[in-house]
Order: sequence, then C-alpha cells, then structure tokens
Amino acid sequence: MANQTIIAFENVSKQYDEDLVLKDINFEIEQGKFYTLLGPSGCGKTTILRLIAGFTEATQGNIYFEKKRINDIPANKRKVNTVFQDYALFPHLNVFENVAFGLRIKKMSKQAIAIKVKEVLRLVQLDCFEDREISEMSGGQRQRVAIARALANEPDVLLLDEPLSALDLKLRTNMQYELRELQQRLGITFIFVTHDQEEALAMSDEIFVMNAGQVIQSGTPVDIYDEPINRFVADFIGESNIVEGNMLADNQVEFVGQSFECVDGGMRRNEPVEVVLRPEDLTITSPERGKLVVEVDTQLFRGVHYEIICYDQAGNEWMVHSTKKAKVGSKVGLFFEPEDIHVMRFNETEEEFDARLESYEEE
Amino acid sequence: MKKKKWSNLYLFLVFIFLYVPIFYLIFYSFNAGGTMNDFTGFTLSNYQTVFDDARLIGIVLNTFMLAFLSSLIATTIGTFGAMGIYFTKRRRTRNALLSLNNILMVSPDVIIGASFLIFFTFLGISLNFFSVLLSHIAFSIPIVVLMVLPKLNEMNASLLDAARDLGASTFGVIWKVILPFITPGVIAGYFMAFTYSLDDFAVTFFVTGNGFSTLSVEIYSRARQGISLEINALSALIFLFSICLVIGYYFISKDNLTKKQKRRLRQQSEAREIL
Ligand SMILES: Nc1ncnc2c1ncn2[C@@H]1O[C@H](COP(=O)(O)OP(=O)(O)OP(=O)(O)O)[C@@H](O)[C@H]1O
Ligand SMILES: [Mg+2]
Repeated sequence: MANQTIIAFENVSKQYDEDLVLKDINFEIEQGKFYTLLGPSGCGKTTILRLIAGFTEATQGNIYFEKKRINDIPANKRKVNTVFQDYALFPHLNVFENVAFGLRIKKMSKQAIAIKVKEVLRLVQLDCFEDREISEMSGGQRQRVAIARALANEPDVLLLDEPLSALDLKLRTNMQYELRELQQRLGITFIFVTHDQEEALAMSDEIFVMNAGQVIQSGTPVDIYDEPINRFVADFIGESNIVEGNMLADNQVEFVGQSFECVDGGMRRNEPVEVVLRPEDLTITSPERGKLVVEVDTQLFRGVHYEIICYDQAGNEWMVHSTKKAKVGSKVGLFFEPEDIHVMRFNETEEEFDARLESYEEE
Repeated sequence: MKKKKWSNLYLFLVFIFLYVPIFYLIFYSFNAGGTMNDFTGFTLSNYQTVFDDARLIGIVLNTFMLAFLSSLIATTIGTFGAMGIYFTKRRRTRNALLSLNNILMVSPDVIIGASFLIFFTFLGISLNFFSVLLSHIAFSIPIVVLMVLPKLNEMNASLLDAARDLGASTFGVIWKVILPFITPGVIAGYFMAFTYSLDDFAVTFFVTGNGFSTLSVEIYSRARQGISLEINALSALIFLFSICLVIGYYFISKDNLTKKQKRRLRQQSEAREIL
C-alpha cells in the first residue's frame, strides 16, 4: 500500500499569455513520501504547487489525484492544503481562529475544533500562543502557524512553498528536522519547494530538479548527488569539478590528457563527455602517488574543512575539500577512486540516462 | 525657531479664516434684535422657533433619513462594485471601469442633477423622496468604490487562495476574508457617502418635487426670502451636532486602540504568571 500513486501529472503544460512556464511535465507522487521541487528562481516550482492545489488551471495535460482527473475540481474541494510562500495568515484573526478556519468551514463542533486546534498547535510547538494576534508573532512562529493551519484539515497531501526561506540558519535547520519528523510521524505526503539544495538533500525521499519549466532529473538525494544527469544538475546540487573528456571505452575515460578507469559505460567509442568529480572525493597526496598533478592556488578555511583551489597543467580548476591544510604554491597530487568519477553525456534525457544505466549495470 | 513661529502664525490665520464666519453666524443666533447688523441682547428665542417649527424638524428628519438610507444602499452596492473591479482580470477592462467611476466623481453636481432630472422626467418618475433617494445612491456609489478599492488592493491576494485552500466557497471567501479586511474602507466609505448626502444641494435641488425637501434646499429657499435668525440657530445646532460626531469618532477609534492595548497588557501579565 505504501507505494500507491497519489498525484500524477500527464503532459502538463502551463502558459501565461505568451510565456510557456511549464513544458510537458510528467511525474508521479507516491503516498506518504517527502518530495522536493528544487530549482532556481522562476523555474515554475510555485506554478506546479498552484496546479496541484487548484489555484490555476493547466493549459494542457491531465492532473490526477488518486487516479481521478482533477483538472476541473475547484481548490476548495481538493484534499490538499498549502503552506504559502508568504504564509498568507489572516491578519484579522488570531492564532486560534487562523488554525480553526478550515474546521469552522467543515462545521465541526466547537469542542472538536478546540481539541483539534490545541493538538496541531502542540505539534508545531506553539501551545499557549492561541490568543496571540498574527502581528505579534515572529517570522518563525508565523510559519509554524501556517503549517498548523494546513495540518488541522488533515490533508492527504501537504504543499509547502519555500516555507523556511524567511528564517535564520539556526531556526531553519531546526525546522528542517521538525518538518521531516512531522512528516514521518503523520505519514502525510509532503511536496516541498525550495531553491536551497542542502535543504532538499537533507529532507527529501525524492527530489525533482527543475529548470526553466522542465523537470531535469528526479530521484533520491543520493542518486541525484552521485549521478547528476548533466552539468546543470551537477552544478546546482553541491560543489563539483566538471571537465571535458572522452569516453575511450566502457569503464575507460580520458580527461586532462590522461586515461582513467571509471565505472560508467554504454556510450559510443570516443564520445565527448563531461566528467564530474566532487571536491570531497579528492584527496591530496604527494605528486608521485596522485593520479593528477596540480598546483595549489588558494585556500579558504570553511570551518568543517579547507576549500583548496588548484589548477592542473591544462588550466582546469580543481576544488578540493580537505581536513588537512595544503601549502599554497606547492605541487601536489590528487587521488580518487574509479567510483568517484561520474561521466555525463551531452543532451541526454532522463529516460535515456536511466535506460543506459540499466543496460550496463545488468551486464 | 523663527520658521516655526511663521508656520504657526500661518496655521492660526487659516483656522481663523475658516471658523470666523461660522462663529459669527452662531453668535448672531443668540441675538434678540432679529437682524445680523447689531447685537441688541441675548436670547434663546431663535432656538425656540426652530423647535416649534414642525415643518423644519420634519425636513431635518427627512434629510437624515435620506442620508442614512442612501449611504447604506450605496455602500452595499459600491462595496460589491469595488470587488467587481478588483476581480476583473483584464487590465484594460479594469482601467475602463475605474475611469468611468472617476468621471462620475469629478463631474459637476449641476450636470449630474440636471441629467437625473431629464432622466426621471423621461421615464415619467414623479419627483419625490424616492427620486432624491435614487440620485443620492447613484452619486454616492463612486465615492464608496473609491474608498474601498485601495483596501482591496492592499490585501494580499494569497489570502484568497489560502481561504479557498482551506475549503471556503466563493461566498465564504467574501464573507470571512475580504469583508473583514476591507471593513475600515467600507466604514469610511459609508461616512463619506453619509456626509455627501447631508451636504448635497445641487443634485437634490434638481430632483426634489413639491412634497419633499432637504435641509440644504430648505435653507437656501428661506435665505432667499430674507434673513431669519432661525436659520442661524439651526446652523448652530447642526454645527454642534458635527462636533459631537467628530468627538464621537475620536473616542470610537481611541476605544479600539485601548481595547487592543488592554488585551496585550493582559497577555503580558499572564505570560509573566506562567514564567
Ligand atoms: N500570474 C502570472 N502571470 C504571468 N506570469 C507568471 C504568473 N505567475 C508566474 N509567472 C511566471 O511563471 C514563471 C514561473 O513562476 P513560479 O512562481 O512558478 O516560479 P518559482 O519557481 O516558484 O520561483 P521562486 O523560487 O522565485 O518562487 C516565472 O517566470 C513567472 O514570471
Ligand atoms: Mg515560488
């Protein structure tokens, strides 16, 4: 039962006047998981949430909720609730009345409402705040009121539009834990929007990376981090070193004029490719023991690690995360395992990527 | 320092200029002499005359009844009209509607009055209380729209989405979210419409018939027949009434504030007890 599809998009497009802001979106959302829409500003994340919630209509395509097409069902009849980007709390109502808003519409009894409101406020750790005016709450508290208000209606799916963006780092990290914990405890499907990649990696079961109205790649945080489909995803998720290369054969890639063993395959012979190496996968050793020889250019202390920028003879930049200091100006070797190399083809779609992965992993 | 003196002097002069005629009028309402030329002695008999003048009292009541009704109806229509303009999706149409509204605001009362007269005679509507009421409603609606629309624009549009999201029907959204939010604008619009209706002379003058008159029209026609200090007394009473209104309004708004402050104080003390 756990893997039941609850929401599905089928060839959904959305157009504002001349602007095509969503291009042929297809995806399925499974019951009870934590999904994240991740992408740069203006890529259409909010638009997807608005389509699911029913605030706008798709120009083309079908949206399904529990296998039923819901394109024409108005927002107030959908079993979905939203935590808005700007919270959208009712300024003329206090905290209690804000949370009770949906329950009053459902004509629940006074007692039941009082119990439910208390319960959800406790869930977001806002007990004792019932009588406060919204104007008297801090940003973080408002946000939790917004979450409580949505949760009180016991939605099947909770949509959260960058709910943490207004908070300071510490509160944000706290809320990330709380939200994740809440989601697992309640078993509700969460669709969470953010443009913060760390947030996405930390919280999600599944991430949709978006750009310019398209879903570029979807998968678990580990999949997306370890096997980005193209330069955009690799750049957007985490730090990465990307250099141009050539696929000599399966499990053999050439870059910076040297040949390296890798674990990728299924490509044409001598196909030009891009190679990703994550900074934390590179270790600094002596020039003789390294697979690549580079010169240390600059070094920054980042707290957890040093961020060391090096250049190879071809002029490529290499970022290394290391807990040990390097000497600026010295020649050092970089060592990495074959599994650390990730090869990306140009213009490969997600389906082609998945198909190729399956084909050579089976062998 | 010097600058401040000048600005104070300026303000002082302006207020003198504005209030002296009124006080002059009121002063002579206590004159026993019967003219505004010289003050022969203090009397309240002019006020006595006002209260004895049943026709005049009737007209005062009519005028207030008219203002009350016309502003009530105009506020209702104007509020929904403002929502209509607010929810008009196409920008061109919205601007056109807004301009039509504004034209009614700025066009001279005389023209509006004359056109109502032509309109009513064309339709064969007799000139009485209802013709006046209709025209007052009509010229008050644009005022209400103009007071309510800024409030609507001030409202965060995602509040409406939020209300729908939580299951509210269109009626629910209007009743539970929009109306509470724009209430200050609606009240302001009501009061504006009320005073416009009380004030109005030009439009009313055109559309009153034999049986019905309002205060401004009545005072005008009496003033034309020659000065009577009864008018002064009546003006003084109306002036007093306006002052009461202003003071009342002041206390209402102040009361709101203290209520909120009181609640805050109460909460603070409760919070302290919890700690
Ligand atoms: N009502 C609208 N009319 C016209 N264009 C719109 C409208 N709403 C959104 N857009 C456009 O659609 C595109 C996607 O907007 P959307 O709000 O979905 O972005 P987003 O991914 O949520 O961005 P952000 O991270 O900044 O919130 C943007 O280019 C935006 O300008
Ligand atoms: Mg957005």
